[in-house]
Amino acid sequence: MSPQPATTGRPAVAPEEGVAAIETYAAPRSLAEAVALLRTGEATILAGGTDLMPQSKTGRARFQRMLMNVRHVPELRGIRGTQDCVRFGALTTITELLDSALVKNRFNALWQAADHFASEQLRNAATIGGNICNASPAGDTLVPLLVFDARVELTSEVNGAAARRTLPLAEFFVGPGRTQRRATELLTAVEVPLPPDGFFSEFYKFGTRPALDISAIAIGFGAVRDGQRLRQVRVAFGAVAPTPIRAAKTEAALASQPLPAAIEPALAAAAADIHPISDIRASAWYRRELVRNVLRRMLNNVTQN
Amino acid sequence: MDAMEKPKYDGSLIGKRIPKMDAPEKASGKTRYIHDIDLPGQLHAKILRSSEVHARIVAIDTGAARALPGVHAVITAADVPWQRPIGVAKDHLPLKGDRVRSPRDEIAAVAAESEDIAAAAVKLIKVEYEPLPIVATAEDSLKPGAALLHGEDLIVTGPDGKREVVHKASHDNVAMTFNYGQGDIPNGEAESVVVVEDVFRLHYVTHCCMGVSGVIAEFDASENLLLYSNTQVPFLHKREFAELLGMDPGRIRIIQPPIGGGFGSKLDIYPFEPIAIYLAKITHRPVKLIFSREEEFMASPTRQPVLLKMRSGCRSDGRLTFRDVETVHDNGAYTSWGATTPFVMMQTISSLYRVPNCNYRTRAIYTNNPYAGSFRGYGNLQATFAVEAHMDKLAEAIGMDPLEFRLINAQDPGEVTPQGMHFKSCGFKDCLQTAASRSDYQAKFSAARGKWNDGNPVKRGVGMASMLHVGGGAKIYPSDGCGTIIKMDDFAHITLITGASEIGQGSETVLAQLACEELGLPLSAVTVVNNDTDVKPWDVGVHASRTTFIAGNSALGAARKAKAKILAAAASKFGRPAERLDLREGCVIDKATGEKLIEIGKLIRSLHFSDKAELVMTTFYYEPPSHKQDKEFRGDVSAAYAWATQVVEIEVDTETGIVKLLKVIGAHDVGRVLNRLGIEGQIEGGVVMGQGYALTEDLIVENGVIRNPNFRDYKLVTAPEIPEIDVSFIETMDGEGPQGAKGVGEAPAICVAAAVANAIYNATGVRITALPFTPENVYRALHSNSQPPTWIAAA
Repeated sequence: MSPQPATTGRPAVAPEEGVAAIETYAAPRSLAEAVALLRTGEATILAGGTDLMPQSKTGRARFQRMLMNVRHVPELRGIRGTQDCVRFGALTTITELLDSALVKNRFNALWQAADHFASEQLRNAATIGGNICNASPAGDTLVPLLVFDARVELTSEVNGAAARRTLPLAEFFVGPGRTQRRATELLTAVEVPLPPDGFFSEFYKFGTRPALDISAIAIGFGAVRDGQRLRQVRVAFGAVAPTPIRAAKTEAALASQPLPAAIEPALAAAAADIHPISDIRASAWYRRELVRNVLRRMLNNVTQN
Repeated sequence: MDAMEKPKYDGSLIGKRIPKMDAPEKASGKTRYIHDIDLPGQLHAKILRSSEVHARIVAIDTGAARALPGVHAVITAADVPWQRPIGVAKDHLPLKGDRVRSPRDEIAAVAAESEDIAAAAVKLIKVEYEPLPIVATAEDSLKPGAALLHGEDLIVTGPDGKREVVHKASHDNVAMTFNYGQGDIPNGEAESVVVVEDVFRLHYVTHCCMGVSGVIAEFDASENLLLYSNTQVPFLHKREFAELLGMDPGRIRIIQPPIGGGFGSKLDIYPFEPIAIYLAKITHRPVKLIFSREEEFMASPTRQPVLLKMRSGCRSDGRLTFRDVETVHDNGAYTSWGATTPFVMMQTISSLYRVPNCNYRTRAIYTNNPYAGSFRGYGNLQATFAVEAHMDKLAEAIGMDPLEFRLINAQDPGEVTPQGMHFKSCGFKDCLQTAASRSDYQAKFSAARGKWNDGNPVKRGVGMASMLHVGGGAKIYPSDGCGTIIKMDDFAHITLITGASEIGQGSETVLAQLACEELGLPLSAVTVVNNDTDVKPWDVGVHASRTTFIAGNSALGAARKAKAKILAAAASKFGRPAERLDLREGCVIDKATGEKLIEIGKLIRSLHFSDKAELVMTTFYYEPPSHKQDKEFRGDVSAAYAWATQVVEIEVDTETGIVKLLKVIGAHDVGRVLNRLGIEGQIEGGVVMGQGYALTEDLIVENGVIRNPNFRDYKLVTAPEIPEIDVSFIETMDGEGPQGAKGVGEAPAICVAAAVANAIYNATGVRITALPFTPENVYRALHSNSQPPTWIAAA
């Protein structure tokens, strides 16, 4: 689920330009096979399909000559925790996030985002890797993943061998629907460091209804509480800039003095961190009002609890 | 016989909770909608719509499309020079040859072997346009010098070459006007201690039927036309299609497959239907045309957007003195039923409450926007929104409790209003009191007002609104009747052939109940046939909440005739007077003793197979005792009137603008409950439709273009937001209604938005006069960042 420009209602693509553009269908059974097929960079990658299929119908996504279904690649599955990090395979579905005790206990904001994600059917199919590669400014899991300092793992074939690189999620997004992923790369996993002890997190998503809605704004917040002092503060916003963003000024304001004195400076800082636009979901003015009011409410709750 | 399953008898069927007869098929996915029907040799059609909002068509090139393999026909207006206009004002040619007035406009159509080929061919058609100025709002349309949408006579040429003006030019963009008056406004004003005035703006919404529009057209070898159609009014459309095509109406047969939602959207003929027929005629093949969901949003009708200015006054004792209303309706580019919604609006304005002096003036204005049709409530949601806002405002202005204020002005049974409506049964005051007491309205109303300045950003409030709607048909045609044929076979199985159409409202079940109740048979003993104009007797169609009342009385009449025939036969067979006999539990019984004389099936067999062989087959035509209105819109247009009051409880988050509908407490005067399960479902569904109109649904039209033609951005209410719904039935046992029942189909959707507006005021002290109450709209209003709607300067 992602925002896209309003259409006039005419399908932008006739079927022959959509699915019919696909010449080859591939369903690799291993990561090595998958990255080998990606060598030429001329494949459309299919995971959950919940963004790709509707986007291909409206013409926003164009199919490459090869459609590569990565759902049978075992290396892309599973949630695995090590001592200091959790690795989410790119094919981890939103339902799997919701069902994970580890996510619920340690990554509350991510669990809340999964809980507010679209609908049951879409949660069953949509994947965390797909949500990241779709790079919507309003992508539900992206805001909490930014709060948790997630890194993405990209794999490609170099000289006949799989080569990996990782980069911080905050650097991965370039613009709406655009990322640092090269056409020859497959996003294979998201690595999330285990937050420090005492770290708590919250996610807020604003839409006009509780289900099946795209955020007009989203806020992720996390910190370690030390009396009325917040340490390791992390704030992220969705749908208020061309990409989901970490809010550096807001974080600095919250770290600089104890609650509740930090709240009003943090709200002023947040206003400088965000760059919302007006679209059919909300005006820029309303998005600013929401960020201020909702962030204030979240911080008041933190102060009082 | 012993091995056979015996039917079960559960006593009276009236008022029971009876599952709809079509529920098992629908729930198990077995229902065959029009989408599931494929005829041998069938072609698939697609329409090319305009890429411009308002333009002259300079040239159309269909060469490449015609050359595409698999394409059987490509048509433009030039291929059907004999086409005639559709719609209420006949201002709309199905295929546009020289000019487009909206992005939905049909320029060409393709019939091909498959949908994909048809879609590919449509893309190959090239159209050259010369843009014209866009008339984006009714306000712009009324400005001096505005581009004229229909500034020239619409002339068609018959097959004989004769030219005929079918629609007169409009030189001011006014499509239709209505003026109604009663009493004398200055007198009413003079008597008033308080006068309030507001401008209300009601927005665009559309029906969102789960089944998208579609049709299959086929000509047989003798040139008879068969249509599989989702129409709500098959007999009216049969005649209209005949006029369009220059055919004998008797040669048109309409079959209605189960319809995936109507709600008024299928009351008119739309261009896709004649276009499919033209293609079938040209290709000599069955042609199927089914909309995509985006097309459904773009090219199906909308509820009429209205700008409404209202002034109302009352005396210090609370009695209403006058109401003065003027409206401008955005008609869109062509005229459909939306332009005629003032018929219903004026009833609410003049007669929901007693108001001695009343004026209502309205104009429907052409624009380049989507054109408005009929939609559940037919203007009543818009009128009720304004009237009920003023009931609260006037009550507040004179310091009176809003419930008491309404009770002072509410109609009573026996009232004949200045508009001529005669309220023979009227449970309005019961509705008001029941809804108020079940919701604890007065206490909650006062409590909420006391908390406006308590510092809590989340507010609660209650709001009340009531409605009046036709409940016994609406005589807008010379006849408002319906025919029924009942055929009983030799096993006492009834085939109930009704003129009425089923569009999901549950009419089949209610008609079956009424017939079975009369004939002492269980529901399993009936088959309802209701979807073929070659089989069923005449009926006006599904509109005006009329089916239970009109078709119900018709079914009852036919059943009574069948019963009389059976009892007469039993009387002669058993030598007892017919008056002593009755039908119960599948048998003829003696009323006095309860003795079962004979099974009905056995009696019928003895009739069939005797030397005086006779069938039990009856017909009945019911015409309600209502009257067409005169030219001043006076007349008792319905045989009964339905009433309802709804109280809503809401929560408003003033920091986000989110309004949550927590509970709806409704009291509905339905005459009598026939199928309790069915009527609960109908009311709950209507409440949710009203909730969508109030809170979430908004068809965003900018410069003639719909910006959200999909369910992602057009927000229907989903399951988690549906509030607790508490419905009480006020059973006034209408003297003319079947078993006392009145119509209820539209009623539940009508008051919700009006009640929510009153509740937002009760919660926050802010009166919002423009719909919808989406979070940003509400937030802006609460934080003084929006202007209330203003009246059109040019008007």
